[in-house]
Amino acid sequence: MSLKEILNLVWINIVENKFKVILTSLGIIVGAATIVIVIAIGLGGQRDVQEEFKNLNAGTVTISDNSNSSRSGSFSGGASPNFMKSGSQGGSRSNNRTGLSGSRNMPSGMMGGFPGAMPNTQQIKKTTFTNTDLEEITYFVDNISQIALMAKGSSTIQGGTLEDDLTTTIVGATEEYLEISNLNLLIGSFFDSISDEEKERVAVLGYDAALNIFGNIFDAYGSQININSKKYSVIGVLEQTGSVVSEITLDSAVYIPYQTAEKYVLGTNSSPQIVVLVDDVNKIETTIASLQQLLSEMYPTGNISVTDAGSQVAASQKSANTLSILLISVATVVFIVGGIGIMNVLFVSVKERTKEIGILKALGSSRKDILLQFLLEAMLISIFGGIVGVIVGYLLMPLVRLTGMSVIASTSGSIMALIFAIITGTIFGFYPAWQAANLKPIEALNYE
Amino acid sequence: MENLLTLKHLNKSYQIGTEQLQVLFDINLEVHAGDFIALLGPSGSGKSTLMNIIGCMDTADSGEYFLHDKAIHLADDTQMTKIRNQEIGFIFQKYQLISQYTVLQNVIMPLLIRGIPRKEAVKLAAEKLEMLGMADRLNHKPNELSGGQQQRVSIARALVGQPSILLADEPTGALDSKTGEEVLNLFQELNDMGNSIIMITHDPKVGQKAKRIVKIIDGRLYLE
Repeated sequence: MSLKEILNLVWINIVENKFKVILTSLGIIVGAATIVIVIAIGLGGQRDVQEEFKNLNAGTVTISDNSNSSRSGSFSGGASPNFMKSGSQGGSRSNNRTGLSGSRNMPSGMMGGFPGAMPNTQQIKKTTFTNTDLEEITYFVDNISQIALMAKGSSTIQGGTLEDDLTTTIVGATEEYLEISNLNLLIGSFFDSISDEEKERVAVLGYDAALNIFGNIFDAYGSQININSKKYSVIGVLEQTGSVVSEITLDSAVYIPYQTAEKYVLGTNSSPQIVVLVDDVNKIETTIASLQQLLSEMYPTGNISVTDAGSQVAASQKSANTLSILLISVATVVFIVGGIGIMNVLFVSVKERTKEIGILKALGSSRKDILLQFLLEAMLISIFGGIVGVIVGYLLMPLVRLTGMSVIASTSGSIMALIFAIITGTIFGFYPAWQAANLKPIEALNYE
Repeated sequence: MENLLTLKHLNKSYQIGTEQLQVLFDINLEVHAGDFIALLGPSGSGKSTLMNIIGCMDTADSGEYFLHDKAIHLADDTQMTKIRNQEIGFIFQKYQLISQYTVLQNVIMPLLIRGIPRKEAVKLAAEKLEMLGMADRLNHKPNELSGGQQQRVSIARALVGQPSILLADEPTGALDSKTGEEVLNLFQELNDMGNSIIMITHDPKVGQKAKRIVKIIDGRLYLE
């Protein structure tokens, strides 16, 4: 029998059993829609990661005090007193530095000298970085193009068109922070080192912060706001970035000079970070090692972590990938369930049409023809289910967006869903079709 | 006259549980081209089993079966399938039309299976259906037809492939006596046109319409 005529028979049967076909394909529809959405979420997640770190220079290294937690990547200073800052000068330090193998994955407890020299009862002390530290680092560590001190906290703001207090992130930073974080000014200027030294009460607003407080950017510039009930002049507004760096949503933060922040907003209990920009991405590892070495000497009793942008991006990427894998497993389960659904309906269909199969056999239909007829029927149903599923997936995407997840529709996702649908239909349709093809003609014909 | 069909010493038994039940004993039969044979026997006599073997739907345990010169008892499943399609025209008691196909689609099936293009198949089928007075019912579904009409469609389907032999299994069994009479007259006409027919029946009156009656009782043939 020609393939065209077999397809014609399949078509007659599908048209005669429209409702059953829709029921059968339901599982496939759900499966295909799931795949489409899963891939869209996966792509969305990857883009989110890229967006999130858009403002993070690849060469950024963050030094932060970790005394309140013991995350991996931190180390406690364990250097011998001989190498402490007060006791030695640059020469001895640089000698030590070259002997160290730089590694980003340095285990905690990296010992800078003689481990036995330190008493076991050592207490980890809180470290508060200052401008002196910046000078030390700039002096002793190579390959550093920019270095900034910053601390964050949150505070209430009044002013502009605000009726109630607005609580937002306050970032106290030195002027280099602007460049390290890839921030650009939309209007006005950033504060400089003089503002910092003078502890001037000036503020630069993130784009969203300006909109929230003043309603528009131009009203914000040159106005005054209250932070912690003290007046600040708004000297600039930043461009919109849409990204998050070191847990700071850049657009909604308010930026003030570091020492101003320390004096008026954050107090001495703040946890400042040092942000360093390495001039050559290939030298990040050695620079980190040098920084760790230096810091262990400066703060032997501290718990200080040194992390670079690359590892932060990698961690986020990894969690996005984990989500994708999880979703793909869900989609696989859905497809298997859908496939079993197809198989069930086809088994019933073979039973129902036993007589028809008997007649076709009596008329001389070969096994191959009957196998093909049922297999093609399963495939056609799954193609139908696949196409409908892809459409349903696209229709559901706006709903998924409502949950706050970002989704990106893609042609490859739709094609993948279709391929999966057809494979499922073929695999699960095969056994019932094979069963139909191997019915004995007399038994099939006399089946009631 | 050349033998169309020759059966020699056919035996057939079925395994029912642990018991071996023999249904056909040493069947010998010769059918010539142009014959119209009634295979007459009560239910359970083994006539359907014999019919299935002749129709290549079943195989005997022992003995020989020749259709023309072909040794059917040696044929494999694929060959039997092909012989069913090309040499045998089945007419069943319950018509056995495929309910979701139209009359025309039902009748062209044997030709499509054979690989004949649809256009040609439709032409041949339409000729047969017209001959049987069903020309205006081509696009009806079987359940829109009366029993007599359905049997005509099934006869058209049996004839369309120009088989060597028509096998009719109780062709009047599901019809009222008047319609049954018409179908039997039709069989006589078809036989006059040169078609060889073997008809199974339990009804001696129906058997009278055939040229030759072969009785089958308890799995044994009695030729008259």
